[in-house]
Amino acid sequence: MTEQRPFHDFARRLRDAISRASKHPDSLGENEFQSLALDLFKLQYDHMVPYRNLCDRRRKAPSTVTDWRDIPALPTTAFKELDLTSLPPEARTHVFHSSGTTGQRPSRHFHNADSLAVYEASLLTWFEKHVMQSAAGFQPAVRTLANLNAALKTETSLPSPSPLNEERAGVRSESNHSARDCLKFIALTPSPSVCPHSSLIHMFESVQQSFAVGEPKFYGELGADKAWESRFSEVLAALETACTTGQPVLLLGTAFLFVHLLDELEARGVHFHLPAGSRLMETGGYKGRSRELPKAELHRQLSNHLGLPDTAILCEYGMSELSSQAYDLICGSTLPRRFQFPSWARVMIVSPETGLEAAIGDTGVGRIHDLANVWSIAAVQTEDLAIRHTDGFELLGRAAQAEARGCSLMAR
Amino acid sequence: MNLPNYFLADLPPEATLTGPLIAEACQTLKRNRVQFLAQRSTTAIIRVLCEVAENWQKKNYPFRQMALEEGPQKTGFSRHTLERGIDDFFSQITEENLETLLGQELGHIKRLDTFSASKEERIGDRTSMVTGPDMLVHIAAGNLPNPTWMSLILGLLTRSAQFVKCARGSSYLPRLFAHSLYEADAKLGACLELAEWAGGERELENALFAEADCVTATGSDETLADIRSRLPIRVRFLGYGHRVSFGYVSREIMSDWTLPKTIQQAADDVIAWNQLGCLSPHVIYVEHGGALEPSLFASKLAEELAAREAAEPRGPLDVPSAAAIQTRRAFYEVRAAHLPDTQLWCSANSTAWTVIFENDTNFQLSCLNRFIYVKQLTDQEELLRTLEPLRHQISTVGLAATDVTAQKLALRFAQWGITRICPLGRMQKPPLTWRHDGRPALSDLVTWTDWEKDSA
Repeated sequence: MTEQRPFHDFARRLRDAISRASKHPDSLGENEFQSLALDLFKLQYDHMVPYRNLCDRRRKAPSTVTDWRDIPALPTTAFKELDLTSLPPEARTHVFHSSGTTGQRPSRHFHNADSLAVYEASLLTWFEKHVMQSAAGFQPAVRTLANLNAALKTETSLPSPSPLNEERAGVRSESNHSARDCLKFIALTPSPSVCPHSSLIHMFESVQQSFAVGEPKFYGELGADKAWESRFSEVLAALETACTTGQPVLLLGTAFLFVHLLDELEARGVHFHLPAGSRLMETGGYKGRSRELPKAELHRQLSNHLGLPDTAILCEYGMSELSSQAYDLICGSTLPRRFQFPSWARVMIVSPETGLEAAIGDTGVGRIHDLANVWSIAAVQTEDLAIRHTDGFELLGRAAQAEARGCSLMAR
Repeated sequence: MNLPNYFLADLPPEATLTGPLIAEACQTLKRNRVQFLAQRSTTAIIRVLCEVAENWQKKNYPFRQMALEEGPQKTGFSRHTLERGIDDFFSQITEENLETLLGQELGHIKRLDTFSASKEERIGDRTSMVTGPDMLVHIAAGNLPNPTWMSLILGLLTRSAQFVKCARGSSYLPRLFAHSLYEADAKLGACLELAEWAGGERELENALFAEADCVTATGSDETLADIRSRLPIRVRFLGYGHRVSFGYVSREIMSDWTLPKTIQQAADDVIAWNQLGCLSPHVIYVEHGGALEPSLFASKLAEELAAREAAEPRGPLDVPSAAAIQTRRAFYEVRAAHLPDTQLWCSANSTAWTVIFENDTNFQLSCLNRFIYVKQLTDQEELLRTLEPLRHQISTVGLAATDVTAQKLALRFAQWGITRICPLGRMQKPPLTWRHDGRPALSDLVTWTDWEKDSA
């Protein structure tokens, strides 16, 4: 049975580092990352046989690897094939599944309370910085982690102002971080009780618990074929209320749900001018759930229909196999859009031909080294094509034919 | 050498195509056909085709030189792959082969010129002739140039004006062939048009379809269904859906004596056109129970591909294709690390070639570009059971077996629905007389006129 102590110790060390980095962004530098990454590699190599087998095959071991960039990365497809976790079976209280093609075995990322605490430390810190940011021309966002005393899992003990009162108040202060200025969260997805294995929905719940007023609320449900759908009449009613009261909102959802929202707005001939400070975070691809719009076009239409500035529309990049996320913009900041992970999760854009890091401006495949994947695998090789920039990366989409068993010819 | 602007596909990329422009181009083609092509004899057409084909095989032929020099950058195929593909194709275009094709499909080589009678027709005092469509449109798939070259040749035999719609970025080699025809015989060239746009451009395609008498199209089932639904009822439609192919090695071939040659043949099929055609193998199935283990076939094939890469390099790949290979390799690397009956061999520091061995009969689509599965199985029946979901979507089986076994296997494959069986090593080199997906390529284009004579 896996000795859990060293994992707990590592998790504590990492949470300290994340906490420091949240206050002093440069505090988690290359040296500390290197040291954390190599220590975590040793733990994961020692405790996960399938991972060790792969490392041995590549002749990479903790005794020989001296740079985190050389730590063997596992492809996301491996998470479908193997149970890649150092959690003993009885400790696996949560599992996140990838939203794979129907009929395929999904990726599985196992968690327990400890690993979720690391997940949330990573999530909330980076989410706050990018999504909850107040900037020039924006409403001061919100409750912050700092002023909420940040302690994880203590959120429920916080006094929650009544959302109703808040909506009625309609009074906005430009400088006061009072609860009244909190964003109203509108998550277009189904709730965690309906989709307990979605890491995205878990994320939406966590950020609501930490930053939203009242109980987390979800405006979606499962459709006939188990596809996610939004209850648009409720969404539209919530948006109307927001406009009437001047309550800024944060819309959360997948790209395809936002396309459905646009279709709905178009069909009803409705345009909103959402209150200043409102924002929107979209994530993920279309997965054949809607017509596909290029990102810029999706943003342009959302901006037109909702009356949001382009800089209030953010993209998130995450996956069930990771514990950290990247965002392409700090809300309200200037373009260009570049995805950035936090300093405890680093990305390399790797040339698929040579396996070496792509030059600045070149296209490659994203490899993410996420230290918050303590009990899982830190080094994850994605199938996502991206352009490497000095200040982050630009996502191009999934490599064609990447999925070994998902061709349309085979699906018939 | 710069190509003159004979075709729409020669125009600079910024030139905009419109529906009226396409319609006008078609009307010009039809006029030219009446004036320059309709009255030509089959013999005269064959003479031009053979002259051009011979030229393409000459080292100093400017169009060949151009294809080999600019082709790697324009098409992604290495010089060697292009050279091999050009020679394989054009060496087939001979007077004898074209006449055999006419005889096979039309029963008489003069059938396109005048009334003629086969033996059976003479007995009944009948005679007949065929005519091709006035306006023949090809919607080309674009992965390989040779099907488009072949379409143009068939269309010239039927004296049709032809419009080839190439997929984005794939018109280069078809264009060179069309220019070579134009140079050899400008009047023939004036009956051809090539243009390039991304499939689905309604305005352009509807203008084109309105002028067409027959449309051939290669693509996914969705693409074909879409095209068919937009054609006027009078227009004949010949759709070629996606097909996949595989190799099959019977157990008696798995001996020290026969294996080396079979490995070379398998490598020929993986290397030809970088495996990108419907006729290229995704998987090579090897029966176990022979003198040598099927996994040895895989390791020997890996050695052969490594050796051939030095002499016949695959050429560079675009990032998405390389990423597809790398991702797939990573998946099998994980599997190979914990499953003993999965093995992986691949080129170091490049994606040039990959061999995956699996003890799992399920058909697996390759990501191509010299990425081949070798799978072991018990016998043909086991294979056909696992192939059931792909019935009618298999094109070619490349067979390595003794004559007696081949006879038995071929019969069963044919009854099951496979339309082409050839020796391993020749999968991507079908003869001119090949019936495309089981359909006669030339006679599908034509319309017959029967003349029952008054014998009184």
